Amino acid sequence: MKTHILTVTLSFIFCLTARAELKWEQTAVELHPARGDKQAIGHYKYQNVGKTPVHFKSVHASCGCTAAQSQKDQVGPGEKGEITATFNIGDRTGTQVKTVTVETDEAANQKTVLTLKAIIPQELEISPTFVFWKQGEKADPKTITIHAGKDFSVKHIKVTSSSPDFQTKVEETGEGQFKVDVQPNETSRPLASTLTIQSENSPKTFYATARITTAPTAPVAPAIQKASGAPAAPTAPARPPVPPGQTR
Amino acid sequence: MKFSLPRQALILAALSLLPGVGQAIYFRDKISWQSPIPPSEMVSVDQAREWGDSTIWIDARPDDQFARDHVPGAILLNEDRWNELLPQFLAVWSPGKKVVVYCSAQSCDLAREVAERLRKEAQLPDVFVLQGGWEAWLKKNH
Repeated sequence: MKTHILTVTLSFIFCLTARAELKWEQTAVELHPARGDKQAIGHYKYQNVGKTPVHFKSVHASCGCTAAQSQKDQVGPGEKGEITATFNIGDRTGTQVKTVTVETDEAANQKTVLTLKAIIPQELEISPTFVFWKQGEKADPKTITIHAGKDFSVKHIKVTSSSPDFQTKVEETGEGQFKVDVQPNETSRPLASTLTIQSENSPKTFYATARITTAPTAPVAPAIQKASGAPAAPTAPARPPVPPGQTR
Repeated sequence: MKFSLPRQALILAALSLLPGVGQAIYFRDKISWQSPIPPSEMVSVDQAREWGDSTIWIDARPDDQFARDHVPGAILLNEDRWNELLPQFLAVWSPGKKVVVYCSAQSCDLAREVAERLRKEAQLPDVFVLQGGWEAWLKKNH
């Protein structure tokens, strides 16, 4: 009886493996793009180990930042090929995991998910990248902390405010660690500044934003919105300044 | 009631398949390993619309998809041009606003990533991901 169970199980496994025709060399790749790289490209090689041709029905990336391409639409028995996944790094940082779903007409394994893991070096870690004061709030300094990312050495940083309405003061607090105090001259009116952060040995520029915000607006009745191809025209409703010490 | 050994084996095999079948049905439209978004960080189209003018819509899709169509008034903020686009969004944000981020569909992860960066890096409160993304919004508006 035990022999029968073993036979049935082995037959089942054999049937499954015999039907899977496209054999992938790897379905997951880990990439370590260098500093300044614009793209990370993953290659996924395969071979048709079956006896019938395999057709690709679709090759679909999980996000618009990744483009996936197949060399051919049909793979004959014994033929080899590869799918390439091009990940556009853009302004992304840290570990990024993207997938490409490949659909074929194989009977047993129609969908294969290919994984691309890109570990993007992060030169500076800035927290927070946004400091704000409510209009009328006391103009006390707010702190942004900056530290060098793993495998990076930073001795000096330079912070420049795009507006003379904000002052910045950089202080080194440890090896590769800095404290940036940002202070507005006044908070009686809406103001904004882009803070440009540069380290001495990197061509890359980092940014933070400082703002004096208007007071929150009162909620209004829900608006019915319709899809539109028109460009977005965001507006921040301006309200008269709130005198210090008062709230709405 | 006494079952023969093969029958017992078959019953056990059938039972062992149940969790897999259940997962396959539950995740049929999703990528199962994708880190789930806590329900408290998600918002439905109806709920977001009820917030009215206190909602800032963020389109996390690539530039070309945003150019084709988007939620009226939405601001483009994707990670392709994060450094350039973030200040434009921060210029219209104010305390008390609710930020609703969307990408193309439930299965895309761009909205989740943008929302996470807004919470962690810019330390903004009230940042939500739109359930079902742009597809859900379209469904409710057509």
